[in-house]
Amino acid sequence: MAPPASREGLVLQTSALRKRFGGVHAVNGVDLAVPPGDLRAIIGPNGAGKTTLFNLITGDIAHDTGQIYFSGEEVSGLPPNHLCRRGMGRTFQVTSIFRRLTALENVQTAFLSHHQRQFNIFAPARRLYRDEALGMLERVGLREQAAKPSGILAHGDQRRLELAIALASAPRLLLLDEPTAGMAPRERHEIMALVAGIAADTGLTVVFTEHDMDVVFAVAQRITVLHQGAVLAEGVPADVRANGDVQRVYLRQAH
Amino acid sequence: MSPRTWLGIVVLVLAVAPLALPPFFLQLLTEIAIIGLFATAFNLLMGFGGMVSFGHAAYFALGAYTAALLVKRAGVPLLVALPAAPVAAAAGALLFGFFIVRLSHTYFAMLSLAFAQIVFTVIFKWKALTGGDDGLLDVWPPALLKSPAAYYYFTLAIVGVCVFALHAIVDSPFGYALKAVRENPRRARYIGIDVRRHQLVAFVISGAFSGVAGGLFAFYNGSVFPDFAYFTKSFEPLVVALLGGVQSFFGPLTGALGFKILEWLISRQWPVYWPLFLGGIVVVVIVALPGGFVGLVGGRQWRRRPAAKA
Repeated sequence: MAPPASREGLVLQTSALRKRFGGVHAVNGVDLAVPPGDLRAIIGPNGAGKTTLFNLITGDIAHDTGQIYFSGEEVSGLPPNHLCRRGMGRTFQVTSIFRRLTALENVQTAFLSHHQRQFNIFAPARRLYRDEALGMLERVGLREQAAKPSGILAHGDQRRLELAIALASAPRLLLLDEPTAGMAPRERHEIMALVAGIAADTGLTVVFTEHDMDVVFAVAQRITVLHQGAVLAEGVPADVRANGDVQRVYLRQAH
Repeated sequence: MSPRTWLGIVVLVLAVAPLALPPFFLQLLTEIAIIGLFATAFNLLMGFGGMVSFGHAAYFALGAYTAALLVKRAGVPLLVALPAAPVAAAAGALLFGFFIVRLSHTYFAMLSLAFAQIVFTVIFKWKALTGGDDGLLDVWPPALLKSPAAYYYFTLAIVGVCVFALHAIVDSPFGYALKAVRENPRRARYIGIDVRRHQLVAFVISGAFSGVAGGLFAFYNGSVFPDFAYFTKSFEPLVVALLGGVQSFFGPLTGALGFKILEWLISRQWPVYWPLFLGGIVVVVIVALPGGFVGLVGGRQWRRRPAAKA
């Protein structure tokens, strides 16, 4: 499972990526190669380094050594706002939205920023990108909730809203950190079907972490298994499921 | 009644006020308008940007001293000196803000306070330029604006334009992004916003309008003093905004009205007890009226965040 020698054509590649917190090697030499259009699940036990890996890729925290390439260009050390402008979107394990703004304002603000209008102090923002924002809310099933302060929405709806916010920046790569955390099983499948549908429609590449193996094996095109900060296995779902190492360290005890 | 109707009534009442009120009250209203602008500019940061400055007197004083010095030392007319006030205040806000926005919460507040104390000390010590402790006296507007009614109208016009501009800024794409930064800086970064730069621009805008208030106050007062930059002055817009309601755009203006009228009522009877009384009001408002005076008439309340679900 060595990464391809060429970065050509890959949306995301990490090379020997490392991050240590004190004595803990949270990410310990991860090589990841994600081609365009992939719907990639990253799985692993708690503490395997999934969220830290996301934080390194999106520039939330600095890595110690290694490189990160996005669409063939090295982006190591770039802050999240620059990566967003280059087309990398993200949602968080703990829902991260603008709680005292309405659902519509949440998505509208993301559109305004995406269109580089954030320093415009003259135009009334209320009418700008309103239709686009409403369309995006419609896409994630929140059209009826548009006028509500997002902080009072149901948990599942807040997760959908965060997805809509991330999509408003028109990303080429979307990293979803446990998009179904805290949801009921049926809702989990709904939201992942939604993500898969959007990815299929737009050619978006998606990398997601997930604890629910039913969800992972239902939607992922390829799966990367992390264990103790390193890649233990990678492949199509059937191969990963059959992998002896994976079964030993993870799948047997996952539930 | 619609907001437009309310606005019309307020403008009408303010326009005819000089016909009915003696000069003392016109001066009180002039001061309310100036403090109201100062607090509204301050609240762009606190209410809409989530940044609490303990040093906004710096930009008020920079505006006041710039206007006063230009008139006194350079002999330029008010119509040149007054526009220079926000320019100087914005320059100061850009210089100090560059460092201040690198910090958050308590550290943001303390560094803003420290810079304001530096401004105070420079004004206090640089006697040759600023007159030090003696201040600068005889900073009067030209004869045309000297009567209380004339300066009242003049102040009202400028404050009106500034408040209108600030209102437009709050509702602009910049304002939307500023609220996003207040709500969730991390998420704001992930929609492409450069959080520090956004905060700095807000800081400079807020400083500039505070400078306008300072410039207007210099000519209203006829003199400027170092304590315009002192930390007690920095707490004035904070208290006024809290009383009126930081969650509402018009809260600080309402707060200025309530603050100055109460101050006048109380301190003419019991001047010694005004600070005690003010402290009591602040406690009552913070504990019982998180929406401030404006919250009483049905403003939106969002101090208490909706409970987060796990």
